[in-house]
Amino acid sequence: MRWLWYLFRAAWANLRTNRTTTVVAIVTTAFTLACVGIFLLSYVNLRNAAAWLQEDIKIIVYLDDRMSGEETRELEGKLKADRMVTGVRYISKEQALGEFRAQFPSDSHLLEGLGENPLPASFIVTPATGYQSPDAVNRWAERARTMAGVAKVDYNQEWIDALAGLIRYIELTAIGVGMILSAAAVTIIGNTIRLALFARREEIEILRLIGATRAFIRIPYFLEGAVLGACGSALALGILKLGFELFRQQISSAGRFQGIENMVSFFPLSICVAFVAVGMGLGVAGSVVSLRRFGEGRG
Amino acid sequence: MIQLIHVSKSYDRRVALFDVTMEIKKGEFVLLMGPSGAGKSTLLRMLIGEERPDEGQIFVQGKNVSRLKQSEVPYLRRKIGTVFQDFRLLGKKSVFENVALPLIVQRSSEADIRRKVMDALRAVGVDHKKDQSPNSLSTGEQQRVCIARAIVNGPVVLLADEPTGNLDPERTAELIELFKLINARGTTVVVATHDPHVMKLVNRRVMTLMQGVLMPEQRGGDRVDA
Repeated sequence: MRWLWYLFRAAWANLRTNRTTTVVAIVTTAFTLACVGIFLLSYVNLRNAAAWLQEDIKIIVYLDDRMSGEETRELEGKLKADRMVTGVRYISKEQALGEFRAQFPSDSHLLEGLGENPLPASFIVTPATGYQSPDAVNRWAERARTMAGVAKVDYNQEWIDALAGLIRYIELTAIGVGMILSAAAVTIIGNTIRLALFARREEIEILRLIGATRAFIRIPYFLEGAVLGACGSALALGILKLGFELFRQQISSAGRFQGIENMVSFFPLSICVAFVAVGMGLGVAGSVVSLRRFGEGRG
Repeated sequence: MIQLIHVSKSYDRRVALFDVTMEIKKGEFVLLMGPSGAGKSTLLRMLIGEERPDEGQIFVQGKNVSRLKQSEVPYLRRKIGTVFQDFRLLGKKSVFENVALPLIVQRSSEADIRRKVMDALRAVGVDHKKDQSPNSLSTGEQQRVCIARAIVNGPVVLLADEPTGNLDPERTAELIELFKLINARGTTVVVATHDPHVMKLVNRRVMTLMQGVLMPEQRGGDRVDA
C-alpha cells in the first residue's frame, strides 16, 4: 500500500509546498462559488415561493346574473365532478357584497347609488394537485369560459406569469454567471496546480522515466484539485450561510418585511452536498487543464 | 535482446543517427563509444521509448519499441534500468525512498520494497546511507544510489548514459567493476561513454558512433577483464 500512501503524501506535499497559493486559491474559489451560490439561493427560494403560490391558486368563475338556481346547481355539480378540481365554493351575490364591504369599508358607499347589487355570484375553484401549473390553470380556465352560464373566469395570472418570468430570468442569469464563475474557479485552481507541477517537475520526469503510468503521475494533482475545490465550495457555503442568516435577521428587524424571514430557507443538505461535489469537480477540471498545458503525460 | 534495424533520426536538419543496425544479445556487456553529439544518448532514449526513430525499427526483448503505444511505454521502462549522467535523484527524499520509487510505481508490497531496496543498496555498497538525503552524499555515492535505483526491480537491461562523466579514474574503475558484477548476474548492460579510459577497462564489444553513423566494431580492454 506504499504506492497509495505515496500518492496521498504527494498531494499533501503539493498543498503544503505552496501554502500561501493554496490558501489564496481556496479563498478566491470560495468567494467565486459564493457568488454562484447567491443566484442559486435566490433561485431556490423563488421557486419555493412560486410553488407555494401555485398551491394556493384560486380560480374565480363568475356566473351570469340570469342563471337560475337549478342551472347554478347543475354547474356546481359539473365543476365538482371535474378531476382537475379539488374544491368548489359557492359565493352568492349577497355574500360577494358582504365580502366587498368587509374588505373595502371606506369604498362601500360606491355601491349604494347603484340600487341593485352589481356583484355577480361566483364559484371559487381550487385546482387539484398536479393541475396547478400555469399552463394547466390556463387550459382549465379556457375550458371553463365555454361552460354555459359562465360570465367570466379570473385568477391571479399576471402575478404567476410575472413570477415565472422572474424565475426564468434568474435561472438564465444563474446559468450564465455560474458558467463564467465556474470557469474562473477552474482557472484559479488550475494555476495553483500548475505551480505544484512546476515545483515537482523533476520528480515527474523521474517517475516517467522509471515506468510510472500517466494515471500514477496525475492522481496526486487530481487529489490536490479535488481538495482545493471541496475546501473552496465548503467555505463558500459557510459564507453563504452567514450572509443568509444576516439577511434574515435584517428583514425580521425591518417591520414591513416581517414574516418573510420564515418563508425564505437555506439550501437543503442534498444541495449542500451537491454544491461541494460540484466544487470538487471544478477542482479536478482545473487539474486536467493544468496537466494538459504542462504537457505531462508524454510517453 | 536489443535489435536496431536501419534506424535513423534527425532533429530539424541535424542528423542524430543514420541507418544504424546493431544487435545486442542477452547477457552481453556492450560499450557505446563516441564523442559528445555522436548520437549515443539519442540511441539510449529510443531504447526506453523516450524518442521514436524517423526510420527503421527497434526491438527490445522482441517488442517493437518504435511502434509501442504511449500507454505501453511505462511497462517497457520497468524492464529497463537507466543510470543518468546527472543522477536525477530527489534531494527531498532519503536514499531509501529514491531507490524505492521504481517499486512504488509498480505497486510492490511493503515487504518486497524493504527487501529489494536493501538488497540493491547492499549491492552497490551504500546501504549504510539509506536514511540520508542524496544531497549529503559524495558524487560517487550518488552515482551508486542511481545504479541501485536502476537495478532495484531486477531489469533485463541496464542502460548507463555517461555514468563516469563526473568521476575520477579510481571511482570510474570501481563503477565499471560494479557494472561487470551486475552483468555477471545476467543483466544485459549497455554503457554509453565518450571516455576512452573506460574502453581500456572493459574487454567486451565496443560500438562506436561518429556523427550518428555506426563505425566498425572494436573490442575494448588492455588492462582489466572480468
